[in-house]
Amino acid sequence: MKFPEDLKYTKDHEWGRPDGNRLIAGITDYAQDELGDIVYIELNDKGSSIKQGEVFGTVESVKAVSELYAPASGTIVEINEALLEAPEIINKDPYGDGWMIVIEMEDRAELNNLMDSQEYRTYVEKEAK
Amino acid sequence: MRTPLFEEHVRLGARMVDFHGWELPVWYTSITKEHMATRTSCGLFDISHMGEIYVKGEGAQDFLEKALTIKVSSMERFQVRYAFMLNSNGGIIDDLTVYCLEPGLHYMLCVNASNTPKDYEWLSSIPGADGLLDNRSDDTAMLAVQGPNARFYLEKCLGFDINSIAYYRFTFHSADLTGNTELLISRTGYTGADGVEIFMDTRLCKALWNMLIDSGAIPCGLGARDTLRLEMGYPLHGNDIDEGTTPIEAGLSFAVDMDSHQFIGRETLLRQRQNGVSRRLRGLVLDDRGIPRQGYVCMKEGRDIGKVTSGSISPVLNRGIALAYIDSSINYSEIVSVMIRSKPLKATVIKPPFVKGQIHK
Repeated sequence: MKFPEDLKYTKDHEWGRPDGNRLIAGITDYAQDELGDIVYIELNDKGSSIKQGEVFGTVESVKAVSELYAPASGTIVEINEALLEAPEIINKDPYGDGWMIVIEMEDRAELNNLMDSQEYRTYVEKEAK
Repeated sequence: MRTPLFEEHVRLGARMVDFHGWELPVWYTSITKEHMATRTSCGLFDISHMGEIYVKGEGAQDFLEKALTIKVSSMERFQVRYAFMLNSNGGIIDDLTVYCLEPGLHYMLCVNASNTPKDYEWLSSIPGADGLLDNRSDDTAMLAVQGPNARFYLEKCLGFDINSIAYYRFTFHSADLTGNTELLISRTGYTGADGVEIFMDTRLCKALWNMLIDSGAIPCGLGARDTLRLEMGYPLHGNDIDEGTTPIEAGLSFAVDMDSHQFIGRETLLRQRQNGVSRRLRGLVLDDRGIPRQGYVCMKEGRDIGKVTSGSISPVLNRGIALAYIDSSINYSEIVSVMIRSKPLKATVIKPPFVKGQIHK
């Protein structure tokens, strides 16, 4: 199970990678492993605005439906269209090619509400028990 | 509860889930991979949680003719038939397979795991049950070996020729495992693939399981078992059929010998056959991208016409498929909508199976 150091994490198992005022977001290795084969994804429209903790899409595995929660407030400036046709990429590379959206952040300080790699690892280990 | 293979599942790294009180593998590597392994090669399933109730003695046949929807007296030795146990309103207490061990005198019922205690209790309450029933679920293990290559693994591991039994027939086979080695092998399954189900003493199960895996059979979990049966349109008790639905509504009259004998629940079915039913279990194939799930509402021209009882993605078709109870005025090939997160997605009404079966009849 991977927990990259440079990412911020939500309690709902999304990650965010800050890049200036932008935040690239997806779901964690733990999340994709729990879901199993991901077969469908729906993402909010490009250009729409979102608040931290609000739903920005839905991901479905063969067995389960799971909502996606935004790690930060702002405008969705990009979505990963490749996932719509090949959602299995999320299983293969959750932190790389499996990225889902890019948010132009309203307030970078919101990132302080998220966990760092070490905190998230501890959080997941507790949840797994 | 655990099957005799619990440790083997854990050792293989299976994701375990609670299935009506049973700790069972939902997948080992991936539902899709396991599904496709069964369609193209050979899947191996631990289904030891299934229940086995034996009915033996003078009067066994008369008793079962009351309890079940099929004409048990017409069954031959070593024949298997699919049947229902109905309540007095025609509601489905359980769906099951009946194994004829000795015509008139000795039968085995293979029933759904979670229904076993309820079934046993219901059977016991039917007049004439005294001394006939024996619930041997606890000391019977069961494996399903399913797929076009199942025949090779059965030959290799057990020296068993699959063509020695026809579809829905069974036999006893002695294998060189440990201890009492008599296996009951039937040409049956819940996947639509060719293959067998094997009943045995719980102590034999681990050796056979590992032998089949070592020869190349792919262990498959409940996840693949569910998507495989759904592609064939086979109902799952508790989802698609239950005490609130009848075999007529579910379109399963082939397992009801309505005209030849009396059985509990028959009056309701006769009435439904005469007067028609307001809803029917149908197949839905999604034309739009999306996955229907249990409980999703079906609409036609703004009208609520029914509800999905089982839904998933079909790994073979790569499309959403579902079984749904739908207003019986809706015909095959009509387009309806399935409401998925408040959005209407287009679906075509079909008669299952969704995927052509590979059974050699």
